[in-house]
Amino acid sequence: MKNKIKIERARHNLTQQDLAEKIGVSRQTINAMESNKYVPSTVLALKIAGLFQLTVEELFQLDEND
Amino acid sequence: MKSSLLLPSRYKWIGTIVLIPSLILGILVRFKDFSFDFLTLPSKAKQEGMQKIFNFDEVINLTDELALTGIIIGLLFIAFAREKQEDEFIGKIRLESLQWAVLINYVLLLVATWLVHGLGYIDVMMYNMLTILIFFIIRFHTVLFRNRSSIND
Repeated sequence: MKNKIKIERARHNLTQQDLAEKIGVSRQTINAMESNKYVPSTVLALKIAGLFQLTVEELFQLDEND
Repeated sequence: MKSSLLLPSRYKWIGTIVLIPSLILGILVRFKDFSFDFLTLPSKAKQEGMQKIFNFDEVINLTDELALTGIIIGLLFIAFAREKQEDEFIGKIRLESLQWAVLINYVLLLVATWLVHGLGYIDVMMYNMLTILIFFIIRFHTVLFRNRSSIND
């Protein structure tokens, strides 16, 4: 699964640590999602999308392996 | 998402404090035949025929029980202590590490089953009681450490 977390984070001028604190996860988790090593749960995906005021589909897209 | 089977994160340190003296005691018991005299139980073994036939120790001393209890409790505390920022990704690493530890543990047990025979196998089983937890702790913290050091902004 691909995502635009890194782009949206830059657009909102947030560091990984800032985003981690706002969502209530570890910085490792943000880093793992941005490098496509971790697919978040629905709950976490909704929280991140909500923070950036996007829908989940705008932030996350399936890729050819899914 | 809350994982209910975890202890507060300070248990990692409590576990370490319990583990280290217990481990030293265990090593002394195992390799130096060390025992605390005050932990010797009065024994009725002399009257019991079965124990004579199998040449069991007539005196029961609880030093080894104490050491093993401390080691197991210490390892459990360390293994089940929550990370400071426990979240779903860390939970996933936790589960993968447990899966990995069980697999490695049984692979090594199978290898040892074919390579170690006789009384030495009792040693294998003794260590095998603890290796799942040890492998889990090592693997879990190695992955966490590698993830932390690979963070880039």
